[in-house]
Amino acid sequence: MLETAVAETSAAAETGAMAEMTLRICHLYPELMNIYGDRGNIIALRKRCEWRGLELEVTGLSIGREVDPDAYDFYFIGGGQDREQILVASDLVNMKGAALRQAAAEGAGFLGICGGYQLLGKYFLTYTGETLPGIGIFDAWTEGAEKRFIGNMVIEWEPAAGGKQTLVGFENHSGHTYLGPDMKPLGRVIKGFGNNGEDGTEGCCAGNAIGTYLHGSLLPKNPRLADEIILAALKRRYGMDSLPPLDDTLEERAHEAAVRRT
Amino acid sequence: MAAAVAACRLVTALSRGLGTGAGSNFPGRVSLRIEPRATRLLAGGLEHGCIVVSGTNGKTTTANMLAGILRQAGFAPVHNRAGANLISGITAALAQSSNLRGRPAGDIGLFEVDEATLPKALERLHPHLIIITNLFRDQLDRYGELESLGRKMSAGIARMSPDTELLLNADDPLVATLGEAGGLEKIYFYGIEYEGYGTMALEHASDSTHCRVCGALLDYSVVYFGHMGKYTCANCGAGRPIPDFAATRLEIEGMDRTEVAMQSPFGSLKLEVKIPGLYNVHNALAAASGALLLGIEAEAIHTGLAGYATAFGRAERIQAEGREIFLVLSKNPAGFNEVIRTIGSQGGDGLRLVIALNDLIADGRDVSWIWDVDFEDLAVRADRVVATGLRAPDMALRMKYAGMPADRIELERDLERALARGIAMTPTGETLFALTTYTATLALRRVMQRKGYVSHFWKEKADA
Ligand SMILES: [Zn+2]
Repeated sequence: MLETAVAETSAAAETGAMAEMTLRICHLYPELMNIYGDRGNIIALRKRCEWRGLELEVTGLSIGREVDPDAYDFYFIGGGQDREQILVASDLVNMKGAALRQAAAEGAGFLGICGGYQLLGKYFLTYTGETLPGIGIFDAWTEGAEKRFIGNMVIEWEPAAGGKQTLVGFENHSGHTYLGPDMKPLGRVIKGFGNNGEDGTEGCCAGNAIGTYLHGSLLPKNPRLADEIILAALKRRYGMDSLPPLDDTLEERAHEAAVRRT
Repeated sequence: MAAAVAACRLVTALSRGLGTGAGSNFPGRVSLRIEPRATRLLAGGLEHGCIVVSGTNGKTTTANMLAGILRQAGFAPVHNRAGANLISGITAALAQSSNLRGRPAGDIGLFEVDEATLPKALERLHPHLIIITNLFRDQLDRYGELESLGRKMSAGIARMSPDTELLLNADDPLVATLGEAGGLEKIYFYGIEYEGYGTMALEHASDSTHCRVCGALLDYSVVYFGHMGKYTCANCGAGRPIPDFAATRLEIEGMDRTEVAMQSPFGSLKLEVKIPGLYNVHNALAAASGALLLGIEAEAIHTGLAGYATAFGRAERIQAEGREIFLVLSKNPAGFNEVIRTIGSQGGDGLRLVIALNDLIADGRDVSWIWDVDFEDLAVRADRVVATGLRAPDMALRMKYAGMPADRIELERDLERALARGIAMTPTGETLFALTTYTATLALRRVMQRKGYVSHFWKEKADA
């Protein structure tokens, strides 16, 4: 008890006003869309907030629960297997779609990985010819294909702060995603397949919403992207425009190791 | 046929001589090249036919336990070992134990089979008993999704003749339904009825928690590990089959001994399991149930199991420089979580660990799964961790985000130096835990052979 109190005080002293701040994350379908270590992204956001004395509240919302679009700063949805993705698609469109589109329009952050990314687009046309609706936060659509894109991937990414960086991860998807004319990809493929294996694009950005096929998990090994997501949320809610830096030596080494193994 | 068998033996002898491995898949590929029907022809010569064991986790342990029981009961099993569980490895095992006319030296085939290879293996081996242990996500980049894997296995099983015996794990919702597609008449279930060591919460790594009939979330009254447990569907009423072979009481005595009381259609019996972990109770239960179905007596089952020596690398205690190394193959989230739980139940804090993460094809190229393992539970008990292997930095990072202070995490890509570091940080007389993925286990064991901590594993097995 005493130890906890001391730790909190010193964290507050170091980070000043940040200790008063709370970010609220909505984790969509945590038990259904959780393939390929997706929860590592939540762990990364939680730790990177905690190390800065920021509080992070994570709320899991699954099938049958409505979304209050004002209640969260950031929404996360991971990938799932076919059966799970079908279950989720109908709930997402019918129960949560309107609220999520409103939240996105008002600048809330989104991160959709793999299957989650596909559901944030307009639709998924499966290889067997069925259409799975999406919620249309991205002007993007996905078509099922026979060939599965599997392997390590490196992309070139331009952070909001400027410059060029790499993002690393692992892709494993049979859906090929195509972006509408006004959509910006998350980055350009250096190694791997990306959205569709044809046009060199990977992922999609619209406002503060990001979709990508990169898992691995994505955020622990790409700490700059994790911090960009945290900062965007802090800016929107508290008007902050910078984050105290962290020691990312280990993160950078894991990033480099992943680039080397690609 | 003679040429195929001779070629296989020659290649095996060569690869042993060169120290490239214990003769696993390559010799089998050579004999199949010479005689494509080799598997079927050789298996057909076995007097008591074949038994096949498949599933994600525990198939090697279950098959090895059953092999021990079979030997105790006077059988001479032909058995593929050391994870050589594709068609080529099975063929190699058959060819290596056959004379040049293609007559096997053994009288019963006992084959662990890779889940994805099951339909092909069933077609060639025509087993009279099929045992399925469990299905977890394991290297999805290689196997495809669990759902479609289950469908393929089920279709392969459905093509078997109706009198084939099928033994399924009742505690795994997906495995329990694998016999539903076909016309098999003899489907049996094994499972743990005793609830004393289960928990109530599903772990993060749980894979198969939805009703196979209607898709609704399953209700678990108890969870043993992963998605193994007692489940029902509140929506449609489908549920866990009542096990024919049931563990009705467990006494876990530390890391070394678990006593199991078992009920079966053949009467009740006691089992003694000498390796740790609830998952090994499932393995022992599968082996004992299979043996009972073969008509083996309770006494031979008890003795065969109690004498079971751990399968190479799965969990081994090795003496090195006055320390004990506890080496465990840990290859996927469910397996890893159970290992972590087992280490935890030993009651130890201040643990010293070497964790080796490789990303070769046999390990799975994708290392994302480490984020599905509850390393948080290990981080609070660990004093020091050496992260090693080809993806050592990923492993080190995982431990950092699991809550270990960065200055207690050491990064050493080289396995030999990592082992030396692990031994150095472990006081004499104490235990160093080495948790290693598949190819890292092989590599680490080669290092330990060079150091003289262990002998070549095929020599040990030849004596077994
Ligand atoms: Zn149901």
